[in-house]
Amino acid sequence: MNEKQVHKFVGRYLEATSCNIIEKSPAHYMVKLSPHADRELTNRPYYWSFVDRMGAEPETMTFLFVTDKEKYDETLKQEQAAPAAPKPSAEDAAVNTVLNRSFGFIQSSLAVPARVPREDLYFGSRKLDQLFEAASMHGSYVYLFEEPDKAAGGPFQSTPYTAWLGVNMRVEFASDRKREEIHSFGVSLATGNCVEQFHDRLLAKRLTPRLPANIHIAKNGVSFNKALSIVEQTLEKKIKAYDYSWAADAATRLEEELQRISSYYTPLLEHAADEAKSAIEEQFQQRQAEISWQYEPRVRASAINCGIFHLKGID
Amino acid sequence: MAPIKTQASLSNSDNGFASRPLHPLVDLQFDRKWFQELQERLTRNGPWDDWTLYRLSMEAEQAKRIESFEQLQCLRTLPSFEPMPHQISTAKKVVHEMGGRAILADEVGLGKTIEAGLVLKEYMVRGLVKRVLILVPASLVLQWVRELNQKFGISAVAQKKSHSWQYDVVVASIDTAKRPPHHELVAGSDYDMIIIDEAHKLKNKKTTNYQFVSQLRKKYCLLLTATPIQNDLDELFNLITLLKPGQLGPQSEFAANFVVDKRLPKNEDQLQEALSAIMIRNRRTEGDIRFTKRIVKNIPLSLSPEEKALYDAVTGFVKERYDESGGDLTSMLSLVTLQREVCSSRDAVFLTLVNLFKKTAEDSPMRPKIWGLVENIKNIKQNTKAEKAMELVKAIGEKVIIFTEYRATQEYLLQFFREQNMIAVPYRGGMNRGKKDWMMDLFRGRAQVLIATEAGGEGINLQFCHHMINFDLPWNPMRVEQRIGRVHRLGQTEDVKIFNLCTLGTIEEHIVSLLHEKINLFELVIGQLDHILERYEKNDSSIEQKLARMLLESSNDNELEQQFNQLGSSINRIRNELGTLEASP
Repeated sequence: MNEKQVHKFVGRYLEATSCNIIEKSPAHYMVKLSPHADRELTNRPYYWSFVDRMGAEPETMTFLFVTDKEKYDETLKQEQAAPAAPKPSAEDAAVNTVLNRSFGFIQSSLAVPARVPREDLYFGSRKLDQLFEAASMHGSYVYLFEEPDKAAGGPFQSTPYTAWLGVNMRVEFASDRKREEIHSFGVSLATGNCVEQFHDRLLAKRLTPRLPANIHIAKNGVSFNKALSIVEQTLEKKIKAYDYSWAADAATRLEEELQRISSYYTPLLEHAADEAKSAIEEQFQQRQAEISWQYEPRVRASAINCGIFHLKGID
Repeated sequence: MAPIKTQASLSNSDNGFASRPLHPLVDLQFDRKWFQELQERLTRNGPWDDWTLYRLSMEAEQAKRIESFEQLQCLRTLPSFEPMPHQISTAKKVVHEMGGRAILADEVGLGKTIEAGLVLKEYMVRGLVKRVLILVPASLVLQWVRELNQKFGISAVAQKKSHSWQYDVVVASIDTAKRPPHHELVAGSDYDMIIIDEAHKLKNKKTTNYQFVSQLRKKYCLLLTATPIQNDLDELFNLITLLKPGQLGPQSEFAANFVVDKRLPKNEDQLQEALSAIMIRNRRTEGDIRFTKRIVKNIPLSLSPEEKALYDAVTGFVKERYDESGGDLTSMLSLVTLQREVCSSRDAVFLTLVNLFKKTAEDSPMRPKIWGLVENIKNIKQNTKAEKAMELVKAIGEKVIIFTEYRATQEYLLQFFREQNMIAVPYRGGMNRGKKDWMMDLFRGRAQVLIATEAGGEGINLQFCHHMINFDLPWNPMRVEQRIGRVHRLGQTEDVKIFNLCTLGTIEEHIVSLLHEKINLFELVIGQLDHILERYEKNDSSIEQKLARMLLESSNDNELEQQFNQLGSSINRIRNELGTLEASP
């Protein structure tokens, strides 16, 4: 993710969670969080449990989210240099002297007007990771309908819809190393038809959680369990054809490591005094377990998110 | 992520997992928890999530996806800091060729911590590591925590209470971790990764530290040490056994194959090969790692007659006490301090004398003698060294660090500089973290001079400054090296200028000549010194004690001079021995 993508991502998250954006530029957002976003992003569970129990009016936090550090700092510098910059009032100056006294020097630009915590959001930063997590926490299970065309049909005409089981899957290929793939499947619950890159297909549509008027949904001909096994079989068939030399390599390494360990412990066990044997044996087994844990090749498929999607047409 | 548990759950489809054979070597494991949850929500008719967040969640996953087994993925998550090329190549090698188990043995100052951080971050980004234990000497715990948090964005936590162990990334001192109640908690965990700093301390198999570490369950493991082969090969063998038992064959074969004498390896090529699969050692002299020069200048100073009188009086006093004591060294060390202090400032010596006076019995004949020395102090009106230091600072016109051994001297200098309208800030070991950071900021910002009593320990990295004045010199050469190491390190772009203030006709003159001319300390390769000293002190008492003894026992200056020469040449001998051992492997 580059700065632009991060910026867009953050903007959409803030909007989706109804946050109040006070000020923005292509490099930053100044935002007063919504209660929902505040719960997700500010790490103050005690505060929120207090609010919930007392039924108090929550006071959410305001943040400065900088999505392009370089550009933002550049603008900041220019603004400071500009003579038009507002002079700190007498009160601010007084506040500064006090802060100065207890903390040493502080940059006055940060102290004026109010101290808004700044977070630099870049790919890999903790705050952005938190945003990622928050998005996935509340973006996992959906139940949606495609919006009908406004022009289409009269009020008495009903459009046929099909329910789909859609799932985005992460597939991990791992040994002591790892790579990942993402697959997206949709299975028509009417026909059992399975579509790949289903997510892309969804992105091209307008979806709503509300049931549109004048539609009817085709009867499900396929059970959920059947749909699940169709997804799994499709995935299995697909990745079965892959090259597994990485797994062979890992297995070879595992074998080598096991032999090496055994070359150390076997003579040690032979020469050890009887009372020491069990301890050595235990350590031997522990080392073997560690190595298997580290090198054993494994492929694992898990869902990123999923949902039921009602789309126009019957297929 | 306990290995055994995962294994057990493979065949068990009841708890949301299903597994199918994919390839003779690999099964495909399906996590079906999503499906159960979806069905539950369908029967309960919700709650349903937001479509935008659904899309964002997918986008986040796409961005985080690890495309290939190769490449360092962590680099794109570290925009604010740029590792050096040798650090990147080390991290790559550890991850891609060594299976994440390695000894990082770079020479001091090349950034082993950074390399370890890169490897750790890489595994974390790839989702292969979550639970991490980092064992370091107690004095380095906070430094590690800060580096990992600030440079790598890894939420590392310093172990404080026994509940700290529940965090994912914990930094702790090995001495704490091995003791109850921590021992059970740590030894009972499965760690995805263990990092041990200063790992050469684990060379002895019989120590509790070694046994503790070998109990730990780990997947990946990094051992950091600058001195992997300093003393004998058995120790290296023990270290490697922690990582990869059997890498050098069974113990008996190792001895037969590789060891002539415990310090002399044989079949070096083979040994080298076996080692290179598990150890990475970057050297300062190699290719892209360049350090700036150290330029050392001694500033000889003549004491004023009053100062000289005090020095002589103190020297006489110390000698007298030593002779009275009948050569008992231990009680004398504090008296030798007097002699060193008198070379620094009258304030330093005054404080010690007052304390000594208080400790002496009221009717002791010592008391008037001590009082006589204090009278001597009263006659001193100016400090020759302080004036010279001021002159130097003005001539340099840039940032300067002044190091002194004594608090009293530090206070005096602060006051002296203030009177001359020169802004100077103090730095000492007793300050808390916040105050230290503040002093650093002040020095970086508007103060021209930093006056420090402490160089070791954590966190003072002053690459922005390249002038240093040793107001007085510690007797422990390692401490001198630590001082220099604050400014002369990776990231220093200028040559470093070091000034030693040296009062003629005093013990200080001997020390400076020993460190500078005889063992050439200031131009030693960084990291060489600790080997030399360790070797030296193995056969003898510490250098500080040795110096004190020489000083007290020699009856005149000539004899002292000879003693210093001897010490110098025995250190040089060790250095040459080490040089050949170092150069060969």
